Amino acid sequence: MLKITTIKNNERMSTQDLLLMIEAAVKAGETDFEIAASGQHDIGGPLWHPEGKTLNFHVTNAGQRVGSMCLPNTEIIVEGSTSADVGWLNSGGIITVKGDVGDTAGHCSSGGKIYIGGRAGTRTGSLMKHDPLYEEPELWVLKNVGSFSFEFMGGGRAVVCGVDCENFSSVLGERACVGMVGGVVYVRGKISDYPDDILCLELDSDDVAFLKSGMNHFLNAVEKSELIAELSDWREWKKLRPLTFEEKKPQVLPDLAAFRKNDWVKGGIFSDVADDDFTVLNTVNRGLYRLRVPTWDNAKFSAPCQFFCPTGIPTQKRLALLRQGKIEEALKLVLKYTPFPGSVCGTLCPNPCMEGCTRSTIDEAIKIDELGLQSAYVEVDPPKISSGKQVGIIGGGVAGLSAAWQLRLLGHSVTVYDDANQIGGKLAQVIPHSRMPQELLQTELNRIEKIGVKFVTGCKVDAAKFNQICDTNDAVLVAVGGHKARYFNWEGAELLTHGIEFLKAINRGEKPHVGKKVVVIGGGNSGMDVATSAYEQGAESVVVVDVVKPAAFAKEIRRLEDFGGKIVWPFVTKKITADGIFSDDDRFIAADQVIVSIGEAPVLDFLPEVKKFRDWLVPDVEKKILPKVFAAGDVIKPGRLTDAIGDARLTALMMNQFLRGEKISPLPAKKIIPAENLSKKFFEKCHHCDLPDPMHEHLRCVSCGTCRDCKMCLNSCPEKAISRIELSDGSWQYISDESKCIGCGICAGVCPCGVWNMSDNPKEISMYRLYNAG
Amino acid sequence: MEAMKVQDLAINDLPWKIEYNAERCTMCGSCVASCTFKAIKVEVQRKSITLSEANQPEPIHRQLALPVIKQVADINCACRGCGMCERVCPNNAIRAVRNPDNRRNLLFNRPIKRGGRTNLNAQRTLDKIIVGRISQMTDPSLDSIRHTFDIRSPLGRVLSPKELPMIMEGGKLVMTKTTPPVRWIYPLIFSDMSIGALSTRAWEAVAMAAAYLNEKCGLPVRMSSGEGGMPVKLLESEYLKYFIIQIASGHFGWNRIIKAMPRMKVDPAGVLIKIGQGAKPGDGGLLQAEKVAPHVQAIRGVPKATLSSPPNHQGLYSIEESVQKMHLSLNAAFGFRVPVAIKCAASSTSVSVYNNLLRDPYKICGGFFIDGIQGGTGAANEISLDHTGHPVVSKIRDCYLAAIEQGAQGQIPLYGGGGIGMTGNAAADAFKMICLGANGVFCGKILIQLLGCVGNEQGRCNACNTGKCPTGICTQNPRLVKRLDVDKGAQKIVDYVLAFDAELRKLMAPIGNSSLPVGRSDALVSTDKAIADKLGIQYVC
Repeated sequence: MLKITTIKNNERMSTQDLLLMIEAAVKAGETDFEIAASGQHDIGGPLWHPEGKTLNFHVTNAGQRVGSMCLPNTEIIVEGSTSADVGWLNSGGIITVKGDVGDTAGHCSSGGKIYIGGRAGTRTGSLMKHDPLYEEPELWVLKNVGSFSFEFMGGGRAVVCGVDCENFSSVLGERACVGMVGGVVYVRGKISDYPDDILCLELDSDDVAFLKSGMNHFLNAVEKSELIAELSDWREWKKLRPLTFEEKKPQVLPDLAAFRKNDWVKGGIFSDVADDDFTVLNTVNRGLYRLRVPTWDNAKFSAPCQFFCPTGIPTQKRLALLRQGKIEEALKLVLKYTPFPGSVCGTLCPNPCMEGCTRSTIDEAIKIDELGLQSAYVEVDPPKISSGKQVGIIGGGVAGLSAAWQLRLLGHSVTVYDDANQIGGKLAQVIPHSRMPQELLQTELNRIEKIGVKFVTGCKVDAAKFNQICDTNDAVLVAVGGHKARYFNWEGAELLTHGIEFLKAINRGEKPHVGKKVVVIGGGNSGMDVATSAYEQGAESVVVVDVVKPAAFAKEIRRLEDFGGKIVWPFVTKKITADGIFSDDDRFIAADQVIVSIGEAPVLDFLPEVKKFRDWLVPDVEKKILPKVFAAGDVIKPGRLTDAIGDARLTALMMNQFLRGEKISPLPAKKIIPAENLSKKFFEKCHHCDLPDPMHEHLRCVSCGTCRDCKMCLNSCPEKAISRIELSDGSWQYISDESKCIGCGICAGVCPCGVWNMSDNPKEISMYRLYNAG
Repeated sequence: MEAMKVQDLAINDLPWKIEYNAERCTMCGSCVASCTFKAIKVEVQRKSITLSEANQPEPIHRQLALPVIKQVADINCACRGCGMCERVCPNNAIRAVRNPDNRRNLLFNRPIKRGGRTNLNAQRTLDKIIVGRISQMTDPSLDSIRHTFDIRSPLGRVLSPKELPMIMEGGKLVMTKTTPPVRWIYPLIFSDMSIGALSTRAWEAVAMAAAYLNEKCGLPVRMSSGEGGMPVKLLESEYLKYFIIQIASGHFGWNRIIKAMPRMKVDPAGVLIKIGQGAKPGDGGLLQAEKVAPHVQAIRGVPKATLSSPPNHQGLYSIEESVQKMHLSLNAAFGFRVPVAIKCAASSTSVSVYNNLLRDPYKICGGFFIDGIQGGTGAANEISLDHTGHPVVSKIRDCYLAAIEQGAQGQIPLYGGGGIGMTGNAAADAFKMICLGANGVFCGKILIQLLGCVGNEQGRCNACNTGKCPTGICTQNPRLVKRLDVDKGAQKIVDYVLAFDAELRKLMAPIGNSSLPVGRSDALVSTDKAIADKLGIQYVC
């Protein structure tokens, strides 16, 4: 027995001196120690006897970590209470503290036994472990432990007996067993919170056997054997153990779909204003949920040729018929729009259709003029029906004849009155024969007569005759054109020769007077006609003057220049003398004849008072100037031949509505096809030497806005949604099946003709509403 | 021969270019069918080549007309970079690529409007701040997983202890009158995105996530309604207690909110008076007519029209009035049982406003929400988004320090928002804001990003104002709304907030705080001297 007193003469032995003294004694064979400590740390371990004998310590007033790192065969008895960390890392010692202990008793102990005869502080038993090679550690506490007890415990057994704890709400303190993964805590008395992964169980027989066998040792050690009966009512005991790794299941929370179904506001919080079944769409959908839908807009838009043709001839359709091999139909189609495909389209018209032709942006415009000539000699059958209505048309020019043609084909009886001796208006009377082959003209005039239009020539219509025509007809058309030369009140205007009279005289076969030096005022096409005719009639030089750049077509100007004629502009006429013509800036051009050709005004002296703008008629929206009198052509506004033909056609269609007692409404105008709708990239540029003849122009025609039946869409649709349907009349339709179509727009993208178009899906989805319907 | 004028708008003027590989394309049409912006279309491309295959020049001509996907060169159909084409393409044949040389800002003939957040002032203070004070030897750190943490923030006016109306009666403390209502809530508030700005599904997904986090996860997360009112079904449900009802200058939605009052089973979590928002300070809310669908018309009580909230509350002419009149009315509306807070855009005047609120003798201001320049919006003028506003970080700090100076810290809870989670980690942002003095943070943009929003502050998408949101989040077009999976979206938000919670602990533990470290700026350091100086934290390098 080594007795150590750590304070001598008021000198305290340091922990280091004490521990070294103990270690030396153990090495020397000492086994029993009686230590009167004064707060020295770490008394009792780690120590081992050279012969393996048990070491016994009896300690008073120990410091922290009594029995730290104790090895087996070490027994420590501490009288009274002691401070923190009793049995820290205890690996086999039996440590008894008869009173209370400070915090963290048994911390990380992995063997031996710790007996505490009072209360233990916070974090008691934290991180206790069990090395499976050795016996598990035990920690016995008579009363209670502080908060955070058995934190992160990994093994061993702890026993908290709960003696003298009536005033404590938990014998394990607050937040016991946090992070505990192994071992077991036996507890008697109230406990409060412990984590979800800790099980609080009744004792089983093994537990009771363990406690029974250990309790006597413990109570004897802490000198409280009288409590054996009180502590042996095993029904008062519980044990806490953590879920094993296998038992621990990740916390499974209900998923949100289940939450919505089971817990959330039924039908959703917007169910009063929204119908929503919460199904989720892909970004690509068919049918109703497609973002966009295709439409097969065959002939919805005008092709540029049709759009720019004042007569409105749908040349794309003619070419479509040629493409189908329907040659006769193709050639006849134009005659539904004009009786003059040869004289006007093919000969005199500047062909605005060709200017707009899409093909001209690839190589050259479709030869629509030549195509017109192909229809010049095509016969048309007279109408098989008769409306019984009489129509009188005053004026046998292109406007009057165009209207007569339309009205006759619609079954009305039509009579055309003209003051000239031959029908044809300016075509016959004014246009020089060099430009207008007479045989061609006559053929087309005859065709009009052949379908039953009556011509009354040499008939001067005055007021009385007008009244008579009105009385004897169901409808009357005034289409007398412009035949009165217009000019300004220049000084010497009385010296002017009127171009229109000059040309008319020539066409009548007369030889009108022509000077040697001629000046023509007016650089339009008719000015060129006058100038070239003057040459043909013997003039030696002709100068055309105009205030602006001459508006005549290049080929007409070239004709003049071929004769040696000159054009002077700008030239603002000031006065005309017998010697020539002066401009307002006093330039002088010598001339012995000045011919004016700056346009003509209508002669309307036979009409009663009607609405006019200057010399021209102003019809109402129904093209009427009097209750059953209509007007068309140059009597309304000077224009080209095609303008007059187109205006007369539309007027005739309205007259037809009038005659049939229908509501008069103008033909709705189609919009021109947007150029970007067309896929021109399919078309290879054609060398100009390889241009086909007019009857094969369908090979080049883009068929703007009209389906060419190429089947690109049919073959390109990724969903095979498009079908081609052939109708009984031989025409066809392409249909997109909405149950298959995804709205990708490939059909529209590959359609050369711009017939397929994409638009936002117009079908409403009734999802939202203002109020709760149900 | 092609015809191009130099001033014609071309693809390379646009902010995004479609990169397309015709060789990979199967022409399935899915990309075009998916694109909500009509930014791509199908076109035919022509190859017309003359080649020679013989041993001497013998021209052979080949013409090939090939259908391809082509970008539309139209500023109104400009690709927004949303990437739906790339997602849907089965063959990796198409994608949108950012065009750094774009001339976008020069192409419009009108002020640019868009959604999203500032693209110009996207630099971040919070990313220059590090949690630099780690408890090691000095004081105990905590175990973020196994220790328990108290992560709660007050919403409501907190009285100083000496102001508490308590007396001792028979040995017990007794309240002599009621105190202002205070709710202890989670420090992450789902912030104000209106019904109208969001689709019904998106709004519902966020609302459902909030309710779920409360009911199933025990996190008292609150959601602010935004200024577009509340769904009546929600007003009448028990879940109302998780929602903060907003009132903004347009007062939209209060028609149905007031009508629902008699049928409310519970009080709402709070009322938030929106004075301004960080994304576009000085501007009121803006909802383009494209998005004013029937249900929006109903809930807001307006016809289909572009809805512009006034820049200011019409009845408020001074800060005193805003406190007394607005706070009083809204406190009164719910019987003084519901905290009423106020939200302003961060501004160089924020501290004055906060001081004023702190002086309020009626104690009826229950929170000051400061919204920084990096906040998002469904629609704003780009000039406002990019050139107006104020960073939130220093403003929270300034306000907190101003309160400290008066010994009034914590009395009017401070909440900071605008860019929270912008670089991905909202927990880090929240922690830093809290250490600088915020009681909590609010976030919006990241929530819709969790729902699937692909927009970002590098100019991607930002089409929230157009009604063409490709993800069905910011649109009222049923065809697009139905693209959004409410359950999946809500799940993503829930998962993110649970991760947020775990990560917040991961930052609280090392500084040894088991409750929110409000004002613990000692925990932060900055590698940026200017930021460190401004915020009063350690500069480190």
